[in-house]
Amino acid sequence: MISLHQVSKKYETPAGVFSALTNVDLYISGGEFVGVVGKSGSGKSTLLNMIAGIDRPSSGAVTVAGTAIHEFAENKLAAWRGRNVGFVFQFFQLLPTLTAAENVILPMDFGKSFPLRERRKRAEALLERVGVGRHADKLPATLSGGEQQRVAIARALANEPPLVLADEPTGNLDSITAAGILDLFRGMATQGTTVVIATHEADIARVIDRRVEISDGIIVK
Amino acid sequence: MTTPWRKAIRDFWTERARTVLVVLAIALGISAFASVLAAYAILTRELDRGYLETNPASAVLWVQRIDDELIAQILQNREVSDAEPRRTVTGQIKAGPVQWRNLTLFVVKDYGDIRVSKLVPEEGAWPPATGEILIERDAFQVAKAKIGDKVTVKTAHGKEQQLLVSGRVHDVGQAQARMENIVYGYINLATLVQLGEQPYLDQLNIRVRNNRFDEKHIERVAGEVKTLLESRGYPVTYINIPRPGKHPHSDLTGILLLAMSSFGLFVLLLSGILVVNLLSALMASQVRQIGVMKAIGGTRWQIARIYFGQALFLGIAAVVVSIPLGVIGSRALCDYMAMFLNFDINSYAVPVWVYLLVVIVGIASPLIAAAYPIRRGTAVPVRVALTDFGLSRTTFGANAFDRLLVRLGGSFSPLVFAVRNIFRRRARLVLTLLTLSAGGLFFMAALNVRASIINTLDRMFGARKFDLAVTFSDPYEWSRIQRAINNTQGITNAEGWFFTEGALTPDREFTVAALPVDTKLLDLEMLDGRFLRPGDTNALVINNALAARVPALRVGETITLRIGSAESSWRIVGLAKEAYSPAIAYIPLDFIQKQEPGMTNSLRLALARNDFDSISIVKESLDRNLEREGVRARGSSSQAETRFGFDQHMLMIYIFLVVMSAIVGSVGALGLMTTMSLNVLERRREMGVLRAIGATPRVVWLMVISEGLMIGILSWTIAALLAWPVSKVVGDALVGAMLRGGLDFVFEPKGLLIWLVVSISVSAAGSFLPAWKASQTTVREALAYE
Repeated sequence: MISLHQVSKKYETPAGVFSALTNVDLYISGGEFVGVVGKSGSGKSTLLNMIAGIDRPSSGAVTVAGTAIHEFAENKLAAWRGRNVGFVFQFFQLLPTLTAAENVILPMDFGKSFPLRERRKRAEALLERVGVGRHADKLPATLSGGEQQRVAIARALANEPPLVLADEPTGNLDSITAAGILDLFRGMATQGTTVVIATHEADIARVIDRRVEISDGIIVK
Repeated sequence: MTTPWRKAIRDFWTERARTVLVVLAIALGISAFASVLAAYAILTRELDRGYLETNPASAVLWVQRIDDELIAQILQNREVSDAEPRRTVTGQIKAGPVQWRNLTLFVVKDYGDIRVSKLVPEEGAWPPATGEILIERDAFQVAKAKIGDKVTVKTAHGKEQQLLVSGRVHDVGQAQARMENIVYGYINLATLVQLGEQPYLDQLNIRVRNNRFDEKHIERVAGEVKTLLESRGYPVTYINIPRPGKHPHSDLTGILLLAMSSFGLFVLLLSGILVVNLLSALMASQVRQIGVMKAIGGTRWQIARIYFGQALFLGIAAVVVSIPLGVIGSRALCDYMAMFLNFDINSYAVPVWVYLLVVIVGIASPLIAAAYPIRRGTAVPVRVALTDFGLSRTTFGANAFDRLLVRLGGSFSPLVFAVRNIFRRRARLVLTLLTLSAGGLFFMAALNVRASIINTLDRMFGARKFDLAVTFSDPYEWSRIQRAINNTQGITNAEGWFFTEGALTPDREFTVAALPVDTKLLDLEMLDGRFLRPGDTNALVINNALAARVPALRVGETITLRIGSAESSWRIVGLAKEAYSPAIAYIPLDFIQKQEPGMTNSLRLALARNDFDSISIVKESLDRNLEREGVRARGSSSQAETRFGFDQHMLMIYIFLVVMSAIVGSVGALGLMTTMSLNVLERRREMGVLRAIGATPRVVWLMVISEGLMIGILSWTIAALLAWPVSKVVGDALVGAMLRGGLDFVFEPKGLLIWLVVSISVSAAGSFLPAWKASQTTVREALAYE
């Protein structure tokens, strides 16, 4: 499903060149639930960005479902991402002027993946699935952190992507809410969706299939 | 409606106050553009329509006299569709006991059958009976008469005669009487006889049958008519071919409307700057949202469409506001121009193409203005966008200018902070300064142009040391005139001049003014060489209008001039500056005196008192004394009356510039308000930090107000620096185009002071609301803001 071959990422900074990833080789099978664990600044988010096509490697190759995404142009990458990747952020990143349902509809509008009339129904179903169906017409500002993250997960699932990536999805939530969110991801993986979560929290072990530990841009375990 | 469109609308709704400001600014620009465009369409249509409805003459030929038989012969020419004789007689008119006014009398043989250059009767009698006079509608104010009044009229050769003002007519082809300070009267042939003039008609108005707008064709037909007249023993002294199908003032209207159109587009451009500012800020504040949209599959174009949708909304809202405003504005403009040009507007209907163009321009302008910020905003890579922390993306202190600013400030104060802050968003600052400075520039230009016009007129009238000019219909002996002057109280100096026509070649005629070489009543500013002086015999001075018309004429050259039927040789000794004057050559009076000893046809008088009433009394008394001597004045004008006419023409330019500066200033003020509110919004978290470390709401308020004031003062400085050159260019262009004369430029320092006060007031007002909002935000809200 996902293959990273000798992927390195270097950033030019005022303080000099910074290596975020160094010669990373990683393979993740379809339907696998992988936790990428590491300290803050270890390269977890960069690794996820590489898989999502949000960032490009300085060297090496990234292949997702047989597609070499590092060769795509920006627009093609966005369209590919819309169909194939669901992304969940630490700070939820819901669009503040759209309701919960509209936030979920947005990827469908971008990807034109479902007929126009079905999108609303599907969004409501997804919100129901993640437990926030009753908040469909509320704006993000009126929802709690946990509710917002559930809406963000529903949004990630909008186009039925085979791959869901989550960058510190529970980092901003209390432990009970976080546990609920992790269970949602576990459910997705069980149903065949490949899930990769970047986290620095140790208690993720109970839900994931495999743990990948990263330190200073190098996969150590 | 798809979700991206909902986002576009709601984003604007959440920032509705700012959105309204920008819509208003764009609406101002479009309204100005729509007003001018609609006025242009209405005026050109109505002016030429009204003029063409009068069946204007294609050509006018002056002959000794015309009778019906001659007309019949002319009409045998198949190319001539109509021919009609008339006569124009100059004279004077007075309604009260004193104050003669200059009069142009139009004599028509049969008012019931006017076919060429028709008149429109508006009130009272039609046609005028014998002993009656009709007055052109705009001339009533000059004549100071009303229908039913008895007025006294005298012509060059007749006697004073009382006529009844029996009606009002509209003569579309005449210039506004008030501006020309002349009365247009209409009488029949029998009344002309009553006035003591011979009952003949000498002016032939013809209309060509085909190709009425083809000047070459008209010239050819007029030439054929001339040949016919001369073959029958009627020499043609002059042919005038007006511009076919065009009202005499259509050029002037065109120039004014062109100036206004440029202004409309300029305001539109300035309002476009506000769109750039607004959308740049919007894009900057939504970088992370753009990143998220890209992350969930939005392509750059899909995301750009959201923001183009917002620009489209701005355009549509502005167009909706602008169209009624534009229609109202165009009506006001049309009414003003119609009054100025003395014509009626039958229909204010705005053509569909104007609406279409306004809609296209109104909608396209914000879209074009938005293109750059959208292109830039959507180009941010997803990773960069997602890591954007929302605020203060500009890095202050990275260059030498920033470090210089830091050195300028000592310890922290809101003022020092404000100075540094205004340079954080430099592109936005430049655009805001552009709109505010433009307002200041126009305002100062308006005052400078006005002051320069007044200065030019002051100098022009200052060169004329006489208070009253009297012209005679024929040359008279100076001794008779001198006696009349001696018998008139209040005259301190008098000179007899002689005006005639001179020509270098048959088609290059101009006025020749012969005057005493030691004249005390004319002191022209010399651009080159010198004026006439005692001892001069064949010396000639040209004015700048003649030099412009015949560029070959240069000081020091000798030319051959035909005056009357004789040719003579002249040496050009000087080039004089005369603003707004026709082409004139000045020669010594002695030259004319040799041909017509002791004769003069024009009088220049300096008076002891030059107030309006004193001049009237002198005019009346002198006229009586001249009559006693058998001398008939054809017309007279005081400097005050002439000056009034000039002031009326110039007032229009001045009003135009002031209105322009008010509109541009308003756009500038809206721009500043938008900028300040964006600055506050972007730095809300920073202000939270300031509040958290002890800044009171008052300090925050003061900081924002200081920032607005600094921008205002900076804009004033730019406007002040540019005011001189820009005013000069604007003044020369406007005045030069309208009156074919240069401007004696003078800078009006009052403008600097007034605009400084305006700038400070506008800046304070523009930043008050954002400052107040900033000071009211709680620390928690400010720190939580993303």
